[in-house]
Amino acid sequence: MFEEFQRKFVNNFITSDRWQYIADGLITTLKVTFFAVIIGIIIGFLVAVVRSTYDKTGKLKILNALCKLYLTVIRGTPVVVQLLIIYFVIFGDVRDVSKIVVAVMAFGFNSGAYVAEIFRSGIMSVDSGQFEAGRSLGFNYVQTMRYIIMPQAFKNVLPALCNEFIVLLKETSVSGYIALQDLTKGGDIIRSRTYDALMPLLAVAIIYLTMVIIFTKFVEILERRLRSSDH
Amino acid sequence: MTTSYGDTLIKVQDLHKIFGDLHALNGISEEIHKGEVVVIVGPSGSGKSTFLRSLNLLEEPSEGRVYFEGEDITDKNVDINKHRQKMGMVFQHFNLFPHKTILQNITLAPVKLLNKSKDEAKKRAMELLCLVGLEEKADAYPSQLSGGQKQRIAIVRSLAMDPDVMLFDEPTSALDPEMVGEVLELMKKLARGGMTMVVVTHEMGFAKEVATRVIFMDEGQIKEQGSPEEFFGNPKDERLREFLSKIL
Ligand SMILES: Nc1ncnc2c1ncn2[C@@H]1O[C@H](COP(=O)(O)OP(=O)(O)OP(=O)(O)O)[C@@H](O)[C@H]1O
Ligand SMILES: [Mg+2]
Repeated sequence: MFEEFQRKFVNNFITSDRWQYIADGLITTLKVTFFAVIIGIIIGFLVAVVRSTYDKTGKLKILNALCKLYLTVIRGTPVVVQLLIIYFVIFGDVRDVSKIVVAVMAFGFNSGAYVAEIFRSGIMSVDSGQFEAGRSLGFNYVQTMRYIIMPQAFKNVLPALCNEFIVLLKETSVSGYIALQDLTKGGDIIRSRTYDALMPLLAVAIIYLTMVIIFTKFVEILERRLRSSDH
Repeated sequence: MTTSYGDTLIKVQDLHKIFGDLHALNGISEEIHKGEVVVIVGPSGSGKSTFLRSLNLLEEPSEGRVYFEGEDITDKNVDINKHRQKMGMVFQHFNLFPHKTILQNITLAPVKLLNKSKDEAKKRAMELLCLVGLEEKADAYPSQLSGGQKQRIAIVRSLAMDPDVMLFDEPTSALDPEMVGEVLELMKKLARGGMTMVVVTHEMGFAKEVATRVIFMDEGQIKEQGSPEEFFGNPKDERLREFLSKIL
């Protein structure tokens, strides 16, 4: 039993340095997730600012309509389809486009829609009296947003943002659709070489689970910190 | 009646405010002079808050003009933010900034808007905190303060901008009864110091003691006004008599 396990382990991970598929895949997955999160936060922030400015002042009507369209399309279609469209349609004619860049764009663009709604709910959750207090002191709209509303909104949504990061980490596992060798694809390649499905896929699952557990723990600590400093 | 006071500070001309099909303000013309303490009373929904908030354009008038220090601030080309710096406002629910310390609450606007140095702003803030006896709270956060303390800090925050007029919208209505006194005391102190004040309140004692003029609003209009003596001693408007009989 144990010898069987040992033999399989060696065959799946040690022989021909197969573990490198997993290691390289993990690095790719983390890279894609990290940069996609950054893009998602930038897009999400801008969209949320446009949307709540429209809600509060009625300005930016056209931009707001565009943002709504973006949210509807992104949230109404599967992320795999978005990934495929960006790779095969938008970059279809571009030779040697980096698959990582495509994945970062697709997942970042996708995440932006969800982050936008997180930010918007954060802005909306700040009491309107805060806005009035800022304006009555003589701050203009942008200053009030910057010094008074945004810091509170950001604090309110920090846990939700971290959760979005966790969701994204798992979602990048469909990167194999454009033959990007991420963590999932790495495990799958080993499977196709050794004809053993259990061990490589189990390894992949354990790595995802470990990362998610670590980040979830981190979010919990963060939430507790924020609550205890909840002034 | 108001001629014994200084120059006109705020002048309101035929002010209307319409919310949907509700005529919240229905043609108000009024002047506030330097040094006056004007108390506004009236039943709920009579437009007191809407009127007060129109004075610094937190509520945009549907019709009519508001002049502040001689300038038409309802004019679209006017930088309203500059004028608001000179009009302090105190709210029923304090609206302190919960993510900032008391000191930061007070110095934020002077530093960002008046380009005061941090040290200068802090020095002034500490003076004001001493004035209200809360200097030891400088580094506390709003959530660590009682309601009465919060409201006194909110007043200080406005004072730090050296306003020419202070607007109060029911500053004691959200307070536990035992904390009303400390806030009213501070407001009396301001009044005695010559601050021009417009105060919406249900505190008739305050009106009698420090108001230079009391205004009765009903159905979006000013129905009666006068010195506290006339106003409370010899009310003429039928609705005012009814109002006073209920509240006193
Ligand atoms: N933003 C708004 N949208 C719609 N209606 C409003 C709005 N603000 C005020 N009103 C309405 O306008 C009328 C006047 O309101 P206002 O708040 O000025 O009354 P008030 O005299 O301050 O009453 P209270 O003593 O209850 O504070 C009320 O009928 C109120 O419901
Ligand atoms: Mg009111």
